[in-house]
Amino acid sequence: MAQNRLEEEQQLGTKFNTENYTRIAKYLLPYKSSIAKIFGVIIFSNIVLVLGPFLTSVVIDETIPNQDATQLLWITIIYTLATILNGAAIRYRLYNIPLLGQNVLRDMRYDLFTHLQRLSFSFYDSRPHGKILTRVVNYINTLSDLLSNGVINVLSDILSILVTLVFMFSLDVTLTLYSFILLPILFVITLVIKNKQRIAYDELSAEQANLNAYIHESIAGIKTTQSYTREGMNYEIFSQFSDNQRKAWMRAVRVQFLLGPIVQNIATITIAFIYFAGISGLGVNVSTGILIAFVGYVNNFWNPIINLGNFYNSLVSGSVYLERIFELMDIEPSVKDSEDAFEMPPVKGDVEFRDVTFGYKEGQTIFEELNFHVKPGETIALVGPTGAGKSTITNLISRFYDVQKGSILIDGIDIRDVTLDSLRNQVGVMLQDTFIFSGTILENIRYGKLDATHEEIVEAAKIVRADEFISGMKHGYRTIVQERGSTLSAGQRQLISFARTLLADPKVLILDEATSSIDTQTEVLLQEGLDRLLEGRTAFIVAHRLSTIRNSDRIFYIGDKKILESGSHEELMQQKGLYYQLYRTQSELLKKV
Amino acid sequence: MSSFRWIWGYIKPYKVYWFWASLWTVIVALLNVVTPYIGGMIVDEVINKERGSLLVPLLVIMIVATVLRTVLRYVYQMMFETTGQNVLFKIREDLYTKLQEMDFVFFNTTRVGDIMARMTGDTDAIRHAVSWVYFNILDSAILFISAIIFLGAIQWRLMLSMLIITPFIGILTVMLSSRANAAYYEIRESFSRLNSMVEENIGGNKVVKAFANEDYETKKFNKRNEDYRERNLFSAEISRTYLPVLETLAGLLSVITIGLGGFFVIRGIMTVGELVAFSGLTWMLNVPMRSIGMFMNDSQRFITATYKIRQMLSAKPLIPVEQQRREQRIRGEVEFQHVSFAFADDPENKVLEDISLKASPGQTIGILGETGSGKSTLVNLISRFFDPTEGRVLIDGEDIKNWNVRELRQNISIVMQDVFLFSDTIQENISYGTPEAPIETIREMAKVADASPFIEKMPEKYGTYLGERGSGLSGGQKQRLSLARGLMKNPAILILDDTTSAVDMETEVKIQDAMRRVSQEKTTFIIANRISSVKAADEIVILSKGRIVERGRHSELLQKRGAYYDIYREQLGQSEVEEAFDDGTE
Repeated sequence: MAQNRLEEEQQLGTKFNTENYTRIAKYLLPYKSSIAKIFGVIIFSNIVLVLGPFLTSVVIDETIPNQDATQLLWITIIYTLATILNGAAIRYRLYNIPLLGQNVLRDMRYDLFTHLQRLSFSFYDSRPHGKILTRVVNYINTLSDLLSNGVINVLSDILSILVTLVFMFSLDVTLTLYSFILLPILFVITLVIKNKQRIAYDELSAEQANLNAYIHESIAGIKTTQSYTREGMNYEIFSQFSDNQRKAWMRAVRVQFLLGPIVQNIATITIAFIYFAGISGLGVNVSTGILIAFVGYVNNFWNPIINLGNFYNSLVSGSVYLERIFELMDIEPSVKDSEDAFEMPPVKGDVEFRDVTFGYKEGQTIFEELNFHVKPGETIALVGPTGAGKSTITNLISRFYDVQKGSILIDGIDIRDVTLDSLRNQVGVMLQDTFIFSGTILENIRYGKLDATHEEIVEAAKIVRADEFISGMKHGYRTIVQERGSTLSAGQRQLISFARTLLADPKVLILDEATSSIDTQTEVLLQEGLDRLLEGRTAFIVAHRLSTIRNSDRIFYIGDKKILESGSHEELMQQKGLYYQLYRTQSELLKKV
Repeated sequence: MSSFRWIWGYIKPYKVYWFWASLWTVIVALLNVVTPYIGGMIVDEVINKERGSLLVPLLVIMIVATVLRTVLRYVYQMMFETTGQNVLFKIREDLYTKLQEMDFVFFNTTRVGDIMARMTGDTDAIRHAVSWVYFNILDSAILFISAIIFLGAIQWRLMLSMLIITPFIGILTVMLSSRANAAYYEIRESFSRLNSMVEENIGGNKVVKAFANEDYETKKFNKRNEDYRERNLFSAEISRTYLPVLETLAGLLSVITIGLGGFFVIRGIMTVGELVAFSGLTWMLNVPMRSIGMFMNDSQRFITATYKIRQMLSAKPLIPVEQQRREQRIRGEVEFQHVSFAFADDPENKVLEDISLKASPGQTIGILGETGSGKSTLVNLISRFFDPTEGRVLIDGEDIKNWNVRELRQNISIVMQDVFLFSDTIQENISYGTPEAPIETIREMAKVADASPFIEKMPEKYGTYLGERGSGLSGGQKQRLSLARGLMKNPAILILDDTTSAVDMETEVKIQDAMRRVSQEKTTFIIANRISSVKAADEIVILSKGRIVERGRHSELLQKRGAYYDIYREQLGQSEVEEAFDDGTE
């Protein structure tokens, strides 16, 4: 899943890793007692199944020749009782097998989801989200049948083959052996088909993933598509993906459906041979009843084999999905708690970068040997050309990425030594792209502090001047917003996101372009509230507006992979360096009519 | 029934194919009888009547019939699969086309996860019905009917006694299906919710991490995950109420065969051979009965899926996409006549009120205003993403509603506030609206938008793949790519909705200068919060709570000393104003 593009989903190797079965077994293990019970019930059902031909042979061979009506009555009663009991067994199976399957699926989904929560930014940045989604939801559902009915049925089938074998051997050894003559051919054919099928299913799942990812992105980007009237072209691309999926599907089923007919033909030939051998006395001498019963058993024997073949089919196709799921589970988060990580003690707000070298990609450094020290309570404005790495600094403080060289210390503690949770709980960051969850505005603000009261939330909203527009809405704080806040303006989303960050009450506050979409009037008001709030907190502010920058204690001018200038507004203005130039140009530009 | 009529519309183009496949199904179902029938004949003719010469021919017939049957079965299975895939393809295509026609209101109120569920899970339930359930039901029906005929021919009294059970099966099936229907609907709904939740979690992963809310998310997820499990189990609950009874009834058929059949033989009403043949054919009654439950489940899934899909397909876009074309280049005159706008779900709350505005071709209009004052809505009306609730919007003097929407949009470039980039190369993203554009033009526009410096620094330059929504790029970089994309179209009307908010002012000015060269004859609307962005406009309007409160040129507005002047002073930094005046001009 290393690809970050739509058209390609890399193909898996040709061999299925047997380790995956062990992993699946781990998911089944907690339910072993339930599996055992189901198994017991299945044994019973199988006995009833074999009882049929057995009782038939008794009736034909004994009861009828003896004209024994009493025995017939008894046989009927026993068979009736067994059938009714079997009904009860079926009832048990019908609920408990899905229960088992659903439990396992739930557990797998849970594991996958919690794993996703651990993965770092770089994981999400490098692949279409539709593909991740497909794995968590769709692929696991595909396994549903395989895990519940599949595993149980396979046990049941093996069992019924064994039981049938016992009956067959007890009836006639030679005939039993005759029944196996064609088995080797079956094995060879199955092996050949299986290999082809695996490849076909691998292709199919890749095509399916591509299609889903494309649909997903089409929906997410529909506004852009419509404003660029790209509908026609997108339709073509979609059709192509859809058609590829269709072709891959047909290739897969063409192979898959071969197995059934082959098994059936082999079974029929075997039955014909049994008839022939039984009647012409080819090494055997059996009664009519036994011959009839035997043919019944051969059917009983072949049906499970057909089922096993089918199971094998779905196992092969399922294993493709399974592999992709496990593959995702195996991706190690690039940023994670170290083994002896401890809780970050309450932060005072001292932040230090020591010889920090960092780049998002190997060989492309953003910073080299970056050094600075920020005292508790200081407000730092980060300025510099776009792409200089202002946001990167803020990303590093929250430890969204790990530095390649050097270290980042908060209150003298290397942030890699503490747990991510305790760090991020005390370092509040308002990201450049605001993300609004579907739900009420209240819930969205509360996201910053899950146990916040209604009053606290309104208070935070008031400080950032969001209260005004929220109260103006029909349902106020209970107004429901759709995913990504599509009904709100960008400025409104920023205000909500701002309130959310403040509510978290962090000791170190990072505002990354927090007010870029907010109008000046609102910003002025917001600033007043913010000034009060910033007291006693360390803050890093990335902004372009002069008024915001001027108010900070120190300004870092970032460029050339390091801090080029640092100092207060007045100091830097006196230096007449880069900051001075930036500031002058901006004022000039504004004043020029 | 309407679901079946609806799906027939999709199958119709393949009806000849479909007919043949159905015919093969019937033939194969009939051939099923051959093996057990020959079994009976072997007992009666070969063993009992000792006609050994018949044995080999009978066995050969048996094998040939099986080969024929399995080959035919494979053929029709493929035919049904092909039809199913074609139907699936067409439905998916129709859904996709419909989605492309739907308006912003629809997407603002419909979750992406729900739409995904329609496009994947629901369409698959339909495919399954077309390529699998149908022929299996047909197969079972034929089997059942031929069983009645064959069994009746062997011993009609025994057959009739078996049929007594059938009415019960019918009743049970109806009861099962009515309950299963609701259960499947719930499962699908629950699946949708789960899907949406995970989707949102993935999309918002950065926020989740920033607040270290992973546990909270997991709790949310557990709730949905558990709910989905429960819904599935509820359906299992229904199955276990009805299916065991069905199974038992089916099992009783074998009991009747042995018990009553044996009795008949003892009484001399039928022969042993007949009993053997009869018991050999009992499965033909049995198997269809056992499958009824499964067919019911599948059919219900199918019906539920068709409801949801048809619902989506019949949704009417608020802005109809006309098919006729007018082939007319827009000059770029835009006029708002007393325009008011409110969203349908909140008609009291006017987003825009009594807006009148006119832009001649080539003019630039600057729009300033508070957060949520209706700036974006105003320009969205020009592209007709919404229709005004009152008043009219005119383009080149003609009501916007009389224009073909797609043609209109082809002449308008709107660079939206929410930048959406696709997971594709930078080149593909810039030329999103103009797929045929040569690389030179792409480079040129990237230069105008000042995107080329950072693009050129990337190792793969214009061939660099972007993450979903352009993740990995900074806000300013995304905005500049989006601007370049908007400029590619060479539109008559250019709308820049807060396009440079995340770009520093110097860069912005550079962009503005470069744009002046390319956008001279274009009517331009610029929404911004920065004075610097709108300063040069022919008219600047200030919006507040949906109304225009101030308008005029930069210099006029400064003289007015109103809201605009306040903003200007604030952005300049108050002390700086004095400082600058003290210094005099440099």
